[in-house]
Amino acid sequence: MKHLILGAVSALALGVTGAVAQDYPTKEIQGIIQWGAGGSTDTVMRSVTPHAEEALGGTIVMQNVTGGVGAIALNQVANGDADGYTLMMGAENPLLYKVMGLGDKDYNDFTPINILARGTPILVAGPDAPFDDYAGMMQFIADNPGDLRFGSTGPGGLPSVVTAMIESVEGDLDVIFVPYDGDGPALTALQGGAIDVMPAVLGAAVEGIRAGTMKPLAVFDNTASSALPDVPTISSAQPDYESLLPWGPFFGVFVKKGTPDDVVAKLSDAYATGAEAEDFKALMDGRGFTMMNISGDEASDFLTKWQETTAWLMQDAGLTKTSPEEFGIARPGE
Amino acid sequence: MEMLSAFFMVFTHPQLLMLVGLGTLAGVYVGAIPGLSVTMAVSILISFTFSWDVHPAIALMIGIYMGGVYGGSRTAILLNIPGAPSAIATAMDGYPMAKRGEAGTAIGVTTVMSFFGGFIGIGVLALAAPFVSDFALGFQPRDYMLLAILGILLVGSLSGGSLVKGIFAGAFGIALGAVGMDPLTFTERFTFDLPVMRSGISFIAVMIGMFGVSEALAQLHHVDTVAVKQKISRIVPSFGTIRKHLPLSLQTSTIGVIIGALPGTGGDIAALMAYDHAKRVTRNPEREFGDGAIEGLVAPETANNAAVGGAFIPMMTLGIPGDAVTAIMIGALFIHGLNPGPMLMVDQPDMFWFIVGSLVVANFFMLIFGLTGIKIFTKIVEMPRAVLIPLILLLSIVGAYAVNNSITDVYWMLGFGVLGYFMRYYGYPLGPVILGVILSRLLDDNWRRAIISAKGDFGLFMQGIVTSPLSLVLFIAVIFIFVNQTPLWPMIKRRVFGRGKAAE
Repeated sequence: MKHLILGAVSALALGVTGAVAQDYPTKEIQGIIQWGAGGSTDTVMRSVTPHAEEALGGTIVMQNVTGGVGAIALNQVANGDADGYTLMMGAENPLLYKVMGLGDKDYNDFTPINILARGTPILVAGPDAPFDDYAGMMQFIADNPGDLRFGSTGPGGLPSVVTAMIESVEGDLDVIFVPYDGDGPALTALQGGAIDVMPAVLGAAVEGIRAGTMKPLAVFDNTASSALPDVPTISSAQPDYESLLPWGPFFGVFVKKGTPDDVVAKLSDAYATGAEAEDFKALMDGRGFTMMNISGDEASDFLTKWQETTAWLMQDAGLTKTSPEEFGIARPGE
Repeated sequence: MEMLSAFFMVFTHPQLLMLVGLGTLAGVYVGAIPGLSVTMAVSILISFTFSWDVHPAIALMIGIYMGGVYGGSRTAILLNIPGAPSAIATAMDGYPMAKRGEAGTAIGVTTVMSFFGGFIGIGVLALAAPFVSDFALGFQPRDYMLLAILGILLVGSLSGGSLVKGIFAGAFGIALGAVGMDPLTFTERFTFDLPVMRSGISFIAVMIGMFGVSEALAQLHHVDTVAVKQKISRIVPSFGTIRKHLPLSLQTSTIGVIIGALPGTGGDIAALMAYDHAKRVTRNPEREFGDGAIEGLVAPETANNAAVGGAFIPMMTLGIPGDAVTAIMIGALFIHGLNPGPMLMVDQPDMFWFIVGSLVVANFFMLIFGLTGIKIFTKIVEMPRAVLIPLILLLSIVGAYAVNNSITDVYWMLGFGVLGYFMRYYGYPLGPVILGVILSRLLDDNWRRAIISAKGDFGLFMQGIVTSPLSLVLFIAVIFIFVNQTPLWPMIKRRVFGRGKAAE
């Protein structure tokens, strides 16, 4: 009798799980946004998700879970069930958590649903800076060692990676790094004259550049940006950068590893369709982001390559807490 | 002409008018519940209004913003629990009034003065936005640091009884604010290697615990006392009252607009600074501050509503948020295909005038909703304590959880509630703790930025202060207010006045 009941229960349970995967979604899906309301990640996720919901035929309720440089959100999703009902909506940072000593999990514990878009870094200066381009800035640093004030957002942020790139090409920079909470506050400080140069994501600086409240020095890419076609690329100023680029922060939607394949497929299709929406593409274009819309193996390869390049760049600049080697992150080209 | 039609757009479209009204009404309630914040409401609205046109979406958000900033005062006055950080100062004189049965009068004054402050903020936004934003942008890290020091000197005003205990509480608050991963270098501070401490202690959890839970615990002492009957015959303050406080409210509104316009400081700091200012300039208050002085309501409430208009100034002119709510609104504008930035005023001036128009309408709705329904609100305080206390606890728990959807915050909140109760019991003021938490980051981050920019050289740093007119004024204000609070001051005053008399 006991066995019979047990058998019936497990059969029922199996039946139920089967049904869940087939009819997915049968309930509300939670979207955990890794960064605060109003930020880039938040804006991207809140504008693409309604289109994905439409394609999916379900509801995705988004909430911002901030703190610990996004690690709180990552751990929350990683500790949940791998059933596709909790989505991790994040940016590039988790790929550096291990080497920066911020956590023991990264996107290797997740399956990518869609890498939506990537940003392009740009080097901007205040309107009164005594130089107009990258070469002029390097000359100024050489002539006035220790005088130029660079904005930064702490180790692991975009400015620290860009600075690590500059140092890997040009050698150590004799400048002052003034830390800010994010590129928004730092760009505000740039316009107020509290710092002189800031490596920022293009989208955050584009309006200021158009209005002349900031001066663009170089776009950190091999090809010019469609949003700012007149700004020279860094590799045209210094060809040594070519091998390090393109590099940029990105936005992606993830689920915990182990989520059933058909659920991953459904979600991937939904977000792929959502990312094709005209107003989303227009938004990304206007903010200077490059659309990617990749999933599956293509996305996994992208993540691996990104992690290798960046982690070793940080390691060589002496900014990491633990060597990428410890975590089996291969040096690019090896 | 186009400017006028954009300004009046919200008046002539019944749908928009309704949305602003709805938003304001919802905002008053969201603001009144501790833990449910305007920031949260507006960020939920971004998804909710995604498919709408930009005008109705912005109209609704502006309503919530205006109503929410005001709504924080409700629970501050009635229950001694500020519904939002910007209402902390309001509780200090509002609650003593409610204890006397004058909650109706307190709410009336608060409403009218919030309306007045709101208008000053909107007026400055409409008439002098580019000028104010240039001024705000000129604030260097050292100026923010001096501003934070100026804020810390408010401890004297917020302490009430013992200054020593106040300083202790303030220092405790500053230490609390420093807990967690330092966002500038990612170094852990005061975390004792516990993962739970890494992301810091939620400021809202501290606030709700210290004010909400500790108040509920303190009320348990009087669980059998019959609640004070509230007089609600005279709600709208007389014209004479308003005229009497006009000079003060103009000054505190100015404080509100400027602090609100500074990126990095908002209505909470504005309200506390205004309260301190009122305490300093009011010579003979009818009642002592902390005991139910009207001036103690007028100052913070004008300032925090004036800060709303102020926060829009850098947002509209530069695309830089003046506070957390305007940061989300910038995101909303992006989603709706606008490009907030320095060019917005040039490319789409009608958006600016539409926002100004909506703010005006929201301000009127705030006045209407504020002055009606007071009867129901005052009934809350007349409830038996056995019902009221569990209700406060429930609201506190929901509020603390809602901030980050984190159960850890609820435990922090309860812990600080118990601590707050004992602090009250032994006469330690709670205001300075919150002040310390609010100002901790502002002080710490900007001091480090300033000294790093000066290459770690204190001489160079001081040289920066002396050569910049703005820094110099702030520095002198710091010295003046500091000396003003020490026993040295009466001595100096006597000397100076004494000589003056001798010369006659």
